[in-house]
Amino acid sequence: MSSNSGYVPGLEGVVASQTAISMVDGQNGRLVYQGYVIADLAEEMSFEEVAFLLWEGRLPNRAELDALSLELANHRTLTQAANIALDALPADTDPMDVLRSVVSVQGVEHRLAKPTVPLAIHATASIPTILAMFHRRQLGLAPVKPRADLGHAANYLYMMDARESSPEIVRALNTYLVLLADHGMNASTFTARVIASTESDLTSALVGAIGALKGPAHGGAPSAVIEQLELIGAADDAETWMRDARRRKEKFMGFGHRVYRVYDPRAKILKEMCRRMNPKFYALGVRVEEIALRILHEEHPERPQSTNVEFYSAGVLQAIGLPKEYFTPTFAAARVSGWSAHVLEQAAHNRIIRPQSEYIGPEPRKPVPLGDRS
Amino acid sequence: MAEFSPGLEGVVAAETAVSEVDGANGRLIYRGGYLIEDLVPVVSYEEVAYLLWHGELPNEKELDALRQQMTAARTLNKSARGALTAMDPATDPMDTLRTVVSAQGAARTLTKPTLDEAITLTAVFPTIVGAAWRRRQGKDVVEPRQDLGHAANLLWMMNGEEPVAEKAHWVDTYLVLLADHGLNASTFAARVVASTGSDLTSCVVGAIAALKGPAHGGATLAARNMLDKIGSADNAEKWLTDAHARHERFSGFGHRVYRTYDPRAKILREMAQTAAPELHKTAARTEEVALRILHEAHPDRPNATNVDFWASVVLTGAGMPKELFTTLFATSRVAGWTAHVLESLSDLRLIRPASRWIGPEPGKKPLQLAKR
Repeated sequence: MSSNSGYVPGLEGVVASQTAISMVDGQNGRLVYQGYVIADLAEEMSFEEVAFLLWEGRLPNRAELDALSLELANHRTLTQAANIALDALPADTDPMDVLRSVVSVQGVEHRLAKPTVPLAIHATASIPTILAMFHRRQLGLAPVKPRADLGHAANYLYMMDARESSPEIVRALNTYLVLLADHGMNASTFTARVIASTESDLTSALVGAIGALKGPAHGGAPSAVIEQLELIGAADDAETWMRDARRRKEKFMGFGHRVYRVYDPRAKILKEMCRRMNPKFYALGVRVEEIALRILHEEHPERPQSTNVEFYSAGVLQAIGLPKEYFTPTFAAARVSGWSAHVLEQAAHNRIIRPQSEYIGPEPRKPVPLGDRS
Repeated sequence: MAEFSPGLEGVVAAETAVSEVDGANGRLIYRGGYLIEDLVPVVSYEEVAYLLWHGELPNEKELDALRQQMTAARTLNKSARGALTAMDPATDPMDTLRTVVSAQGAARTLTKPTLDEAITLTAVFPTIVGAAWRRRQGKDVVEPRQDLGHAANLLWMMNGEEPVAEKAHWVDTYLVLLADHGLNASTFAARVVASTGSDLTSCVVGAIAALKGPAHGGATLAARNMLDKIGSADNAEKWLTDAHARHERFSGFGHRVYRTYDPRAKILREMAQTAAPELHKTAARTEEVALRILHEAHPDRPNATNVDFWASVVLTGAGMPKELFTTLFATSRVAGWTAHVLESLSDLRLIRPASRWIGPEPGKKPLQLAKR
């Protein structure tokens, strides 16, 4: 695992933080938020309740939930600066780049502010607005004003489509947001904590996290799941296509995870939702999943190979009606609650995160003046 | 489960040839094996950036090509201009930098970091810093000059007049000295973002975000603020004794890595004598008293002056407003950030550490809302 120097590639297995926000129990396939197992929260709780749980460490009572919902509803509007910056971006910009830039401008300050729960609420409230406004601009449609009477998930869809979605669709998005709200020390959350550890502000931590989530090895893969399924085409062709793909050294999208050794509990819930909501995706997806796991097992029988959260997320988000370019940004809309909870936790028990590096360059030597260099 | 190392202190998170901080011997080594004190007398910032990116110093032809590429990339695009002018001129310049870099790099599709991108990103920082400063003062933004080097053009864009050679030289030396420094928090942030396969702009934006913190890049400003409060050499003894009694930290002292005098601080201290003679007097006396007090309080700890302390004096001498100090740090370090990201691509592996659970025992059942 580690070299002589003690270098641990990818910091695998290195404990970088203590946290009470979430725990990924990879051995037993459990994801725990503040003591609650995800399966007990996913279909019972609103995203707002889970965000409160992550920020405050307990579930809200009715009055607290109402207060949070009101605070969120009151901060769905973008600042003038954010509106102008959003409009200055070309309409074909990657929505993750839009999010990174507009979250940055929405959070600008005259002076450095310490991370607080109200700031976490405001950032969480503004993300659906940014995404919906940009989506509508891409389509050449006028922006839709947020609706204070709608919950977080319902309002996001309303601002995207200018109409209310069915309760089933809203519920599905809500469950997705709950499932993706936090997940231990993943790369984007860790980025947020590294940034917070320098005593920087919440917006800075979130902007960094968005940049990390964008990477295909982290949050950037759910749209690739759809793209791969489109290439495979039909269940009957799946095995041939997939064996050919492996010969070309292509990766199967939506499989493998560093932490889970058994089926990801979120994938399990999303798979069932997919079965109900997106039969077409499900029919092909189950077949592809079965073949992918079989081929991966043949290649590496020693490795635990499991379907990750992105595979069936893609089917659920597609059924919800979100364009695939908005899959990763919607992941960010969920995870912002976890990122900000981790920033608050880091700030409360801070120590700068500054690991070491091992120098592998040449021994010291003298520079040659410019005129004498060959 | 492995040990928890708070702050990952002592944990080796990367192998790198970009730079090495040899804390025990007080040496900073840049890529290629050059000691910082050997580079400073012979190289410009552009040469150091080339070195960090390529591993070798450029010859004249290569340096000319780099300079041309950089001067051609000094202009902000429409998205960046839009973001810049949208913000209140009183915005924290680091927030301006974070936002405008993000907008400048906003792209249609995800691309892998490239050397060309590293060059163009590095080239545009002075433009953003200059514009932020002009707007802050209610003045028109100055367009970049093609015929000036990186440091001189930065001063030109801030002040709208060509700098005297001496000031450009001080700024250039500062930029050379701060260009890289092992796996500091912002560089580490950039490498974590890169490890997900994200783009170079995202890495650099994350690094700016980390540098902004007072425990990292904000330390130069804190050092200057402390010197402002002390005011004069005569007041240093009293001010520092009082501050120590109030358990205030002395800004500009202490570093996790160096166990002897920071070689960069040494070079800057020397330069400060000419760059800012008055402030140098106050700073020199402050340093003497501070080190004595710290040594008396903690004889066991190595307490050395850090680079921020003397950087604040030299930058002041070069006419740099203290509000811009952290953005100047970023303007230098972007060469190192991008070099680290490019280096990491050759063996990219997701950086995903573990965490230790200290929350409630898993499995508690949630109560219905009405029962809470």
